[in-house]
Amino acid sequence: MNSVLDVVLSSAFLAAVLRVATPYLLAAMGGLVAERAGISNIALEGQMLSAACTGALVAGYSGSVAAGALAGVTVAVLLGLLLAALRLELGADAIIAGIGLNLLASGATAYAVFTLLGDKGGTSGLKSGTLPTVTLPGIEDIPVVGDVLSGQNILTWLAFLAAPFVAWLFYRTRFGFHLRAVGEMPDAAASVGIAVRRVQYAGLALSGALAGLAGVFLSMGYVSFFVRDMTAGRGFIALAAVFLGGLRPWGVFLAALGFGAAEALAVQLGTLDVPPQLVSTIPYAMTLVALALYAWRRKRRGAGEVAPASL
Amino acid sequence: MTSTLIESEDRREYRTTRRRGLVVDLSMTLATILAALVIGFLVMLATGKDPVAAYEALLTGPLERSFRVGRWLEDATTLTLLGLSVAIPFRARQISLGAESQLYAGALAAATVAIFLPLPPVAAVIVPLVAAAAAGAGMGFVPGSMKARLGANEIVATLMLNAIVVRVYDYLVNGPLKESGSSAVHSERIQPDSALTPLSEWLGIPLGRANVGFLVMLLTAVALWLLITRTPLGYRIRMTGSNPHFAEYGGIRVPRAIEWSFVIGGAVAGLAGAHLVQGVYGRLEPGLAGSLAFEGIVVALLARNNPLVVVVAGLFYSYLRAGGDIMEQQTDVGTEIVVVIQAVIVLLVTAQALPDLLKRRLARRQADTSREQAGAAHGKAGTR
Repeated sequence: MNSVLDVVLSSAFLAAVLRVATPYLLAAMGGLVAERAGISNIALEGQMLSAACTGALVAGYSGSVAAGALAGVTVAVLLGLLLAALRLELGADAIIAGIGLNLLASGATAYAVFTLLGDKGGTSGLKSGTLPTVTLPGIEDIPVVGDVLSGQNILTWLAFLAAPFVAWLFYRTRFGFHLRAVGEMPDAAASVGIAVRRVQYAGLALSGALAGLAGVFLSMGYVSFFVRDMTAGRGFIALAAVFLGGLRPWGVFLAALGFGAAEALAVQLGTLDVPPQLVSTIPYAMTLVALALYAWRRKRRGAGEVAPASL
Repeated sequence: MTSTLIESEDRREYRTTRRRGLVVDLSMTLATILAALVIGFLVMLATGKDPVAAYEALLTGPLERSFRVGRWLEDATTLTLLGLSVAIPFRARQISLGAESQLYAGALAAATVAIFLPLPPVAAVIVPLVAAAAAGAGMGFVPGSMKARLGANEIVATLMLNAIVVRVYDYLVNGPLKESGSSAVHSERIQPDSALTPLSEWLGIPLGRANVGFLVMLLTAVALWLLITRTPLGYRIRMTGSNPHFAEYGGIRVPRAIEWSFVIGGAVAGLAGAHLVQGVYGRLEPGLAGSLAFEGIVVALLARNNPLVVVVAGLFYSYLRAGGDIMEQQTDVGTEIVVVIQAVIVLLVTAQALPDLLKRRLARRQADTSREQAGAAHGKAGTR
């Protein structure tokens, strides 16, 4: 047990937590925005995957990391808009359409990589580089804090700013107020003159952008290449964090951070005598229990509290 | 007298509407598939491939050799069972994404029994199947009762359960159930008596790993169709799906119907896991099912959740999958294009507005013609 504590308290582990949590934080905020706008974005997974693939490919061919990141985020935004259009214009079920988009992303990215590079596995043959890391002069030299905070990828910083940004957006801006109104009661929102569709399109675009950043981090932050199906279910986990966090920015932030910490722990414990697969089930089991408790409490309290229908 | 006249008129109108609905549904399904194939064609063209050669391999390849037919039937068995497994909760308008966890639980149960429990010949096949169905049903019960009794979101619950079960499965295959003394990661083989008989043994044609699981799948589909259309439970599930408030008002215990839909679906997905263990691989392999669970959803959607149509959709869909592999071997087009085609099918199928638009237009045209006829008759009467 001592050794477990040693691992958990090491600065390398804390730095790993921040790194591993980055895609969860970004994607979960994306999922939160869409959910509050009244359209479940189960396509987070596909948006991340498309962004990761596009980012690596564009960066590799253009030689510009920034162009790659921008292209990746753009593709994810377009997928968000497509999901909104399927839902709003064609009456598709958002969940099913999202599954379709995930399939599309999985097939299209693998097809594109295979067609361009002749490699089924990924883009490791292409030199595409990573986004810059941020070193903090001054803080860098402080023993533990420096090791944890300095040298993190720029997107990790962005990920930690995403929660306050979304909180500010939701509760301090006109757009956020409209977004929440549209998600909770579209008819009422429409009756007071809110352009429901426009708000939902904007929400889904923002959701896609956040998921896109998460995807770009996978192929241009963690590593410098795209691997087939490299999101490996992170989009779904992010979605779970949205619900575990009770659809509130700071709750979702904590949930996503928790998932990241648990995954980092599972990786670290692989070196000890604990089966990592079993350790990594903990956050999901916790979510399941939390989901049940939350629903039970809400049921006991009756339908008095206003909560989005999707919970 | 008049009332029976009206009644028969009503019934006729109902029948025409239903027939029109069926025609629209069928033609929409065909048009959807065709549109998806055209889009795949254009994608190949745009990426500088030879789409004609690719489609030739894709569409004729699977039938060219008997073992390819076997490969197709084997895949169709698993996929159709998965399609059936989600079609039942879908009928109660529950979006269960839990086929994955149910399949892995079923595979684990079937393998454990088939490896370790000595059983007499016939029981050796049936007991693992039953164990798999029970394990799958249990995995369906968890999210089902969470949804039915507490109102917990079934999408999140099933996704979490998938994540948990897949990891536990991974642990067991790498650990306690790993074949001792083997460097490769897989379990021991099941006892020979527990294997599902290969179809080639019966028919005398080499059909690879295709096995009697295919017949089990067909029987399951018919049984589920009977359940949904001909039994009280099926009626309750359907009513719950079409209008839960009305069902409640009509005295149906909606939570129980929801719970049952999950349990039944789970049992069927468990059978899919047993088929992979007892019929296809003969043991537990890591990543047994790949992404099949989600593709079962596509099959169910394409079949509009009708169990008999699910069989057709499953056969069609796995034909594309089998053809995709052949296309990849014979041409320079990757099998991924098949996934793209599948995705386009899903997106088109979800676009509810399209068939509705078509139905409305058909209805309006019919109304117009009947009004014209009435008008003409009226006019004639007027002149006279």
